Amino acid sequence: MTDEQQTDSGEAQTDGGGTGIVPPDDETPTWSERKARTQGLSRLTYEYFERSRREDQDLRQESSYVERDVLAFPTWPHEMIRNLSLTSFFVGMIIFLSATLPPHLGPPADPSSTPAIILPDWYLYWSFGLLKLGPLNPDLAILGGDKLMADRTYGVLANGVIVGAIAVVPFLNKGSARRPVEQPFWASVGVGGVVFALTISVLAVQNLVPMDTNLLFDLTFLLPIVAGTISYALLKSMQEGYMYDLNRRYYRLRPPK
Amino acid sequence: MADEFAKGLGILTGGGLVWMVLSGWYTNEGFESTQLFGEIPSGLGTYGQAAIVLRDALFWFTIIGVLVFWVVIPAFQQLREA
Repeated sequence: MTDEQQTDSGEAQTDGGGTGIVPPDDETPTWSERKARTQGLSRLTYEYFERSRREDQDLRQESSYVERDVLAFPTWPHEMIRNLSLTSFFVGMIIFLSATLPPHLGPPADPSSTPAIILPDWYLYWSFGLLKLGPLNPDLAILGGDKLMADRTYGVLANGVIVGAIAVVPFLNKGSARRPVEQPFWASVGVGGVVFALTISVLAVQNLVPMDTNLLFDLTFLLPIVAGTISYALLKSMQEGYMYDLNRRYYRLRPPK
Repeated sequence: MADEFAKGLGILTGGGLVWMVLSGWYTNEGFESTQLFGEIPSGLGTYGQAAIVLRDALFWFTIIGVLVFWVVIPAFQQLREA
């Protein structure tokens, strides 16, 4: 990898200089090793990114646009026109929808009767599902088969575990990868987390799922692991064909860890 | 290819939006019963019948338009390049 990007005429391009992006480990294949990949997903990955890089380079060389070293565009008019048009669109959409499809106004709530199904809003299903982790609550022989805490206490503490895990992730990984393929492990951790959010949400509404409850409970924890493993294998094989100095111009202001 | 995608997306969102509004006006049986896909009411006036015709037309315009721009035209271009 050279430090300076040179054109055919020997003139330095403005996006030259070191990439600032380093491969995460010594096992990353070299350029020639990557080119030697002739089949499979790694070859496909190499061809995909190489084609897009080449298209970008061709466009750039055909263009008479002179790239300057600027940190950003001016607020007025560039950013303001873009922001105002986006804002106008969404405000107009809200006015249009509220005028054409006014929301349903239901009958007043009856405090003397309990509905058959009580659920939180859908985006809190994951937390509601954590309250149904009773089978994971161990009963201790030392207590004569009793549980250390009630199932509901256990479910509430599980919320702390999940929130704590999410809070710790930014300290373990700084997020310097620009694409999932650059850090397969953390990308697969993310895939597993997203799938777990979905499965634990399904567990929250287990009464409505036409499936055996025990099977559903097992799948809740197995599917995230399966999805994470599959994505790790896919990304790991893609990584062999990936070029780490892609798109460096867009990420020069954000050096890696 | 990106242009074709944007055209298909525009058809999907634009046609779908107007279809959703017309369906909300005419074929919405209730909040807790069938929504948008309810029975077409009888005894509609001229405007109502025109809206139902427009609703059906938009439905198929959305489906066929998206298929054309996302599937048929790219496939045709691939065939022609091959």
